[in-house]
Amino acid sequence: MRKLILIRNSVFAFIMTLVITASAFAQNRVVSGVIIDADTQEPIPSVTVLLQGTVKGVASDVDGRYELTLTQEELNNGILLFSSVGYIAKEVAINGNTTINVELSLDVALLDDVVVVGYGSQIKEKVTGNISTIKASDFETVPVNSFEQAVQGRASGVFIQTNNGKLGQGIQVRVRGSSSINGSNQPLYVVDGIPVTTDDFSRNAAETNPLADLNPADIESIDILKDASAAAIYGSRGSNGVVLITTKSGGAGDTQINVNYAVATSEPTNKRDWLNGPEYLELFDESFERSPFNSTGDLTGTVFGFTREGLYDTFIPGWDQGYDTDWQELAFQDNTSQKLDISASGGDAKTRFFISGQVDDQEGIIIDNAFERISGRLNLDHSASDKLDLGLNLSLARTVNDRLSTDNAFSTPIQLVALPPVQRAFNDDGTPSNVTVYDNGLLYRDGATFETIVFRSLARAYASYDILPELTVRAEFGVDVLDQNEERWFGSTVAQFTGFNNGTADNRFVRSVNWTSQAFAQYQPVLGEDHELDLTVGLSAQEQTTDILNVSGVDFPNDLFRQVASTATIDAGTATTTVWSLVGYFARANYVFDGKYLLSLSGRVDGSSRFGADSQYGFFPAASVGWILSNESFMEDIDQISFLKAKASFGLTGNTPANNFGSRFLFGAGSYAGGSALTPTQVPNPDLKWESTTQMNFGIEVGLFSDRVTAEIDYYTKETEDLLLNVNIPGTTGFLTQLQNVGNLENKGFEFLVTTVNTTGDLNWTTTLNFGKNDNEITNLDGQVIEGNFVSFAREGQPIGVFFTREYAGVDPDNGDALYWVNSADGIDHSTGTTNNPNAANRVAVGNPNPDFQGGITNNFSYKGFDLSIFFQYVYGNEIYNGGGTFQSANADFFDNQSRDQLNRWQNPGDITNVPEARLLAGNGTSESSRYIDDGSYLRLKTLTLGYNLPASALSNIGLRSARLYFTGLNLLTFTNYGGWDPEVNTDFAASNITLGTDFYAAPQAKTYTVGINIGF
Amino acid sequence: MKNTQNDLNKLNMRFLNKTMLTVLAIGLLAVNCDSLLDTEPAQSIDGSIALETEANVLTVLNGAYDGFSDDDMFGGQIQMEADLMANDNSDPELRWVGTFEEPEQIWRKQILLENTQVSQTWTESYDAINRANNVLSALDVIEDAATRTQVEAEAKFIRGVSYFYLVQFFGKPFSDGNAASNPGVPLVLTPTTGIDETSNVSRNTVAEVYAQVLSDLTDAEAGLPASNGGYATSHAAAAFLSRVYLQQGNYAGARDAANRVISSGAFSLTATYVGAFNNAENSTEDVFAIQVDAQDGAHSLNTFFAHPDAGGRGDITISPTHLALYEAGDERIDAMRSDSTATEKWDDFTANIPVIRLAEMYLTRAEANQRLTTVVGATPLADINTIRARVGLPALLTVDVDAILAERKLELAFEGQILHDLRRTQQNIGSFAYDANETVWPIPQREMDVNSNLTQNPGYTGN
Repeated sequence: MRKLILIRNSVFAFIMTLVITASAFAQNRVVSGVIIDADTQEPIPSVTVLLQGTVKGVASDVDGRYELTLTQEELNNGILLFSSVGYIAKEVAINGNTTINVELSLDVALLDDVVVVGYGSQIKEKVTGNISTIKASDFETVPVNSFEQAVQGRASGVFIQTNNGKLGQGIQVRVRGSSSINGSNQPLYVVDGIPVTTDDFSRNAAETNPLADLNPADIESIDILKDASAAAIYGSRGSNGVVLITTKSGGAGDTQINVNYAVATSEPTNKRDWLNGPEYLELFDESFERSPFNSTGDLTGTVFGFTREGLYDTFIPGWDQGYDTDWQELAFQDNTSQKLDISASGGDAKTRFFISGQVDDQEGIIIDNAFERISGRLNLDHSASDKLDLGLNLSLARTVNDRLSTDNAFSTPIQLVALPPVQRAFNDDGTPSNVTVYDNGLLYRDGATFETIVFRSLARAYASYDILPELTVRAEFGVDVLDQNEERWFGSTVAQFTGFNNGTADNRFVRSVNWTSQAFAQYQPVLGEDHELDLTVGLSAQEQTTDILNVSGVDFPNDLFRQVASTATIDAGTATTTVWSLVGYFARANYVFDGKYLLSLSGRVDGSSRFGADSQYGFFPAASVGWILSNESFMEDIDQISFLKAKASFGLTGNTPANNFGSRFLFGAGSYAGGSALTPTQVPNPDLKWESTTQMNFGIEVGLFSDRVTAEIDYYTKETEDLLLNVNIPGTTGFLTQLQNVGNLENKGFEFLVTTVNTTGDLNWTTTLNFGKNDNEITNLDGQVIEGNFVSFAREGQPIGVFFTREYAGVDPDNGDALYWVNSADGIDHSTGTTNNPNAANRVAVGNPNPDFQGGITNNFSYKGFDLSIFFQYVYGNEIYNGGGTFQSANADFFDNQSRDQLNRWQNPGDITNVPEARLLAGNGTSESSRYIDDGSYLRLKTLTLGYNLPASALSNIGLRSARLYFTGLNLLTFTNYGGWDPEVNTDFAASNITLGTDFYAAPQAKTYTVGINIGF
Repeated sequence: MKNTQNDLNKLNMRFLNKTMLTVLAIGLLAVNCDSLLDTEPAQSIDGSIALETEANVLTVLNGAYDGFSDDDMFGGQIQMEADLMANDNSDPELRWVGTFEEPEQIWRKQILLENTQVSQTWTESYDAINRANNVLSALDVIEDAATRTQVEAEAKFIRGVSYFYLVQFFGKPFSDGNAASNPGVPLVLTPTTGIDETSNVSRNTVAEVYAQVLSDLTDAEAGLPASNGGYATSHAAAAFLSRVYLQQGNYAGARDAANRVISSGAFSLTATYVGAFNNAENSTEDVFAIQVDAQDGAHSLNTFFAHPDAGGRGDITISPTHLALYEAGDERIDAMRSDSTATEKWDDFTANIPVIRLAEMYLTRAEANQRLTTVVGATPLADINTIRARVGLPALLTVDVDAILAERKLELAFEGQILHDLRRTQQNIGSFAYDANETVWPIPQREMDVNSNLTQNPGYTGN
């Protein structure tokens, strides 16, 4: 018995051991393998390996290896999903195998890419709207201030222009043309699902760019929703397109650390030619002699009672001292910029993270101009269960912008070129001279500061819950907090600018809190093989509050004091607050039948506090259809065509008024004689509402030769009605303008995007060409004429911003008079002859600041470890009006230094030239006219990047995952006929919806050379 | 089967509960959303309540003064523009040496249609008029009759003076004899509460505008108190009336109005000429002055006339031609910089801006008495010698109109008077006749563009 018991016990123990071991096995089956590139047979790191239908997953390591622990049940019946950016995802049934090696193929055409859409994402193949997608890899090494500059020329139909070469300045972005005259024309920017603040909070007329607070290195992808089908889900803010920015997130797997360091230096893309000292005196002496006000007609005469010497002594003292100053050179500085990026990402199946930090220290090409950004980001995603996902995106940034005065100020460095070469820049002791015809802007270099410091926090939290496998609800809350402090100090040495002999300082503080709360449900029922349905329903609420405080003081004890607290008198102080809110209800249904026939319906109802009491809510529907012809059986035999889709969309989007209270009858506060005052400030318009844009889009997407060539072609029309216009009203009403919904405009265009894979293998060469043509016409302004600055107008029958001014007819060869075509009120009519009286010349449309077409061409090459990217950007068919021309190129009318082409002035009867006779103070040809309009087309080598990736063999020894050395050149070459500094221009103080393509002492763009190294651990 | 059905039911219930909760949550959010849209401005109030109370109407009246004192009006540019315009460009007494084109065009009398200085004087004047019209439309809410009368009179004062300067700049001079047919400026006498076809007004004749000015200022003189802090008084209204009558050649009217101011005894000449300027409070001889201090109020005369040492731009300099007009010992020279290149009348940008001084009333009374050969108040000789004595000049023994005008020109130099005196006395302005097209401003292009009922002045023929 005892023995039996022993045996029994042994058997029991054995069995128990077996059971335990078995159960241990059952819980710990491991599947592993290596993932390699099908082409190169090289291992692929960071591939996500996921057990289908679960959150179980890992990422492959540097050697492409992965290991995943499964249950026996999972090992037997599970399916593994292998996915990585840029590769075609693969599904493999495990079937009990513990070793599964996988080859992934490069996704050449990227047609299977997922694109981000409003409140969700979609497989690109099945999208019926028009969306441009730009990946981080396209712009990550480009040394820019703000990410939009890096996107310039890369998305068809998206026109991007920086106003000038100052750092931190406003950037104009137009998606398929301008669709508003007085409302915003900038697209809606949405970062990780939350609309962000893009208001310009600059204290002066030159806009700053709040998007520069966003670290470009954090961006994973940019999706630009262009047509109504894509944008109508954003309702009353969709007309200008929507830019969806997705930041990087972590993937399960080993922690990957990336360090990038780059150093750069910049110079202006162009400098202009100005008169030197002797040329200046020669020209002005001649101008003095020939002035109609000259009493004798020679140098011995007087003009307005002044002798030549008396006049020169009054205006340009020092003229007889032999000075020969090159003022233009003094506007620029040598500079060095540095950037350090560090990021880490990784996690496991339950929790993924991405952490990044950046220091970006940029020095401008213009003296005293700098921009520094320090930013950090944490993106966290957590799968609490197989149904509940939570996440948080948080970014903090601090930017410091050493700003300059606007282009319209004597103190902005580029206006130094207006100073005569015969005056000196510096006194003998090295301090800037204050004896110049206009105030010497160099005094600002040491005597004043203008610093804008922004703290920016973008945060979003989300929770997503699968109520049923096919029904997910998601709630998101986001907040964008922008704190901006603008500090200016003006010392005693710039008293001639400020009028304050003992200095002045001011401080302006802005806080914008912009929150969004939104919830939406996504329902994807299983309806059998032939039907795919995707429903989204939700609502969103948003409110933005902006507080502004401003205080200034005058009279410091001395120039060492710079804060307002140290002034003798606080001469101004103010505090304001304003708010707007928006509520939207949206829905979308995407339906696919038989994998070939696509239908999408969407709609949004938006209510806005900015709408008038009589029209508080608007409805914005859109519909689109698509047909994937290449999935039809009749196409199966056409091997050359790998993909073919036709699509069409139609829909309505809106644009809200920019004014928070534009519909109201308002009285504002004022003061007189120390007492408070009330004054009427706005006439009411209770019918005020959104602008409506009806957009149609027809497109074809095609893939040829196994997607070696892919192309997208789109034609669109955008008809905008109920334009929000600050309509000029008779000044006799006591008001100048009223915000009204009147007028129509239209944009029509054609877009083309083609990508070809020219060679594969060792030498990989791809070419991408994009082309966007847009025609803008204002079709109805209800008879109004709306002025911009200088000669820019909104007029019926003309494109927005048309240059409407006198038409210059050149110089009368007989007498040197500047001539203008008389023309007629109806337009150009040369039968009416010419006149030398500018007031007798009718103004006519003589230029268009909008390009006929624009786009870019990228060639990417890679060979072994080397990669080369050459990106040209082009803009064609636009004109530029140089508002500074009436001073710079005025045949020595006043004492501004003149552009060198003015030496070609008329001198003797019979002279054929375009530069009129020099006649001091006589205004011969200096009126605003087409004399100062120039062709603004250009072709630019926007970026050239050459990189070298160290081979993996060399890296493994030193423990690195990757290492890349690179050079990037920005704006290296510019081909243009524009006679000014740079054709990418719109002077900062005047830039607006209407004032386009206007130059006025605008700083040229920077040409930047960058070298950098990128290391991965 | 039964169990499965139960499970399904349970699942459905759970699903429904969750869905209900979600719907409820979304519904709650939606309710909150609608109230979210009720936002109110913080720096403005709605027009419907702005004129509801007496206190508000009084504050709007102060707003009308605020508009009247704008830098484009009596904050300085109305005076400065007249002085620039009055020059003989071949031998100017004042030189524009600044860099702004618009004043230079006015100085040269080659004004382009888009001259913003001209359009701002137009629009800001009508802004002040609209503010006054708002006050006049809401007199009913003022309970006290005396207060109501005074408020009405102050508003009419602002409106009347504003129209007087508009018609002088934008119309031919009254003195040319065709006032009944010459186009003046549109008369708008009701506040703007909306924009419609009636907003496109037409120009009234010069005579009609003058009639309105006289009506407003006469009512103002009758309704205003004799003293009113720094604000309009019956004397100020009378003083402006004297200017209006002078323009019309109604010397008896001008004489009597000036005499009412002088004989009121409310004012006395300051001890020195320079003492009449750069005062933080009205001086004893200020019949009407714009109230300015460091916190509040524009002072364009300082901006353009004052030397950079005094915080100005120094854009207007004085030529030897002007200096030669002063007799030796004339203390009015003391109101110029030591190098005599710029006036110091406007050196303090925080000082009040005298618009009408008592000295002008003496000069007006003297001129009118002289022309009418009457002796109302005092003899012309006595009045002139009162002016001369204050600036250290010997008494004259005889006087004629030319001598009075010469005295007037120097006494009121850089105060915006000379242009209007030249035009009413039909004297050339440089090489231009007193009523030449070039001496009349163009109707601003922006107004022509938006109001097809306006006609342009002769000489400005472009579109």
